[in-house]
Amino acid sequence: MPVGMSTRMPFDATRIRADFPILTREVRPGVPLVYLDSTATSQKPQAVIEAMGDYYRRSNANVHRGIHTLAEEATALYEGARERIARFVNAASPKEIIFTRNATEAINLVAYSWARANLKAGDSLVYTEMEHHSNLVPWQMLAAEKDVIIHVIPVTDDGELDLAVFEALLEKAPRLVCMAHMSNVLGTINPIPEIAAKAHAAGALVLVDAAQSVPHLPVDVQTLGADFLVFSGHKMCGPTGIGVLWARQALLEAMPPFLGGGDMIRRVTIRDFKPNTLPHKFEAGTPAIAEAIGLGAAVDYLFAIGMEAIKTHEREIITYALERLEEVPGVTVYGPPAEKKGGVAAFSLEGVHPHDVAQVLDRDGIAVRAGHHCAMPLHDRYNVPATARASFYLYNTPGEVDKLVEGLYKVKKVFS
Amino acid sequence: MQDRQEFIDFILDHYENPRHHGALENPDVVMRGGNPGCGDLVTLYLRLDEDERVVDASFEGDGCTISQAAASIVTEKVIGKTLAEVAALGHEVVIDDMGREVVSNRLRCATLALNTVQAAEKKYRAGQAAKSASEATVENF
Repeated sequence: MPVGMSTRMPFDATRIRADFPILTREVRPGVPLVYLDSTATSQKPQAVIEAMGDYYRRSNANVHRGIHTLAEEATALYEGARERIARFVNAASPKEIIFTRNATEAINLVAYSWARANLKAGDSLVYTEMEHHSNLVPWQMLAAEKDVIIHVIPVTDDGELDLAVFEALLEKAPRLVCMAHMSNVLGTINPIPEIAAKAHAAGALVLVDAAQSVPHLPVDVQTLGADFLVFSGHKMCGPTGIGVLWARQALLEAMPPFLGGGDMIRRVTIRDFKPNTLPHKFEAGTPAIAEAIGLGAAVDYLFAIGMEAIKTHEREIITYALERLEEVPGVTVYGPPAEKKGGVAAFSLEGVHPHDVAQVLDRDGIAVRAGHHCAMPLHDRYNVPATARASFYLYNTPGEVDKLVEGLYKVKKVFS
Repeated sequence: MQDRQEFIDFILDHYENPRHHGALENPDVVMRGGNPGCGDLVTLYLRLDEDERVVDASFEGDGCTISQAAASIVTEKVIGKTLAEVAALGHEVVIDDMGREVVSNRLRCATLALNTVQAAEKKYRAGQAAKSASEATVENF
């Protein structure tokens, strides 16, 4: 943990907002930004922007096996970020933190490296109706290629997983259970420890898509129950272009490499190679050095505020948001009640297409997303082609919820 | 020079009072287009004379104001034109009427209907035109 941080400051939304330069932006003259799209990507605090700029200004060099001073500095910064990220999720060792481009690439790494080596025709895996496409498509590609069977855990009308179906599916002895920790549409927080225990008892490994949970909740890989866990830097105050696969060391040791090239090797001859040790075995080519350093600065920033405090803040905001949204006639919010979800509110406004909702809100500087949010099967299940989605993070305030609701009344007026 | 509100009123008028709405009887070409993931879908119907001139056009669809209004506008634009002229239409034909600034962050919605009718023209040329909505393939844009 950052040196000297023994106590945390109380959560202060005003101070936090001041850390994010973009939040002072006006979308058009006199119209301040109301950013309610953090589930798509989060804003970045000054500390992260500076960490990357400082690296390029002072310490830029290629990492690993460099003898000169800049190379050593760059390597220390890069590997230092890895160590702090490992501590952030309580990994047993930095060797278990593999840098990827994002959560999507991390899932693909598991599909290519673990699954193709370990699954054969007729084996099955399980995923859910609420998954983001990144945790569906790689498995669909695998299933087509290797004749692996996919079983699906459905979502109830309340936006939770049907765990009775899950237990029945375990009787088919799947090899892998793939699941989001928090839904990027419904906000549902799935009970991973309970699910993982059952999956393990049935002989399955568990892959958790933590892209929406690591940014918003305390996540401890020692107690969560996941065997593989993925997340993206840009959703947690870090830059784009960097993500993480965490997996138990024993699993990673046994897996063949993913991409081939420099850095992931120990030795190359004209006809053969020996892969490198962990974590570099899975990191081919010059990495996204500045981005990893940026993600390290992001975890420092979040750690200093405290993930429990962030979770509490978001719970307060989403509770308030759901109350206020309920007042607006014609609004349907998808997902479970506030106490079972994170700060995500996907909704429909009767008679108005989500594109139109988003566009009218944009006139007032309010940024929400409209579409399927990379979760088409979930939208099929609810029989809506698209939804609008407002999502909240540590820098959002109750006042912004009020602006959203005012905006929705305006939308209704335009389309009445 | 129209102001923004005039453009919006124009779009809403086409959305609420669509021109040439509904299926054509005995169409020569039918084409469905859309981005089902975002909920914008349009089906364009064309009837042609012996000179391949569009004598009638209509649309059906579901989706946001801009995509549906654009379909209504497109049916008006293509009636009386030959297929060659339809193929040559540029997006500005629709976008300028709706107001470039108004639709600037929804160009996919605004161009859906025109792209669909132009896809229909290509299929017709290739001898593969569908004659009914159920045959018409969905082109995703």
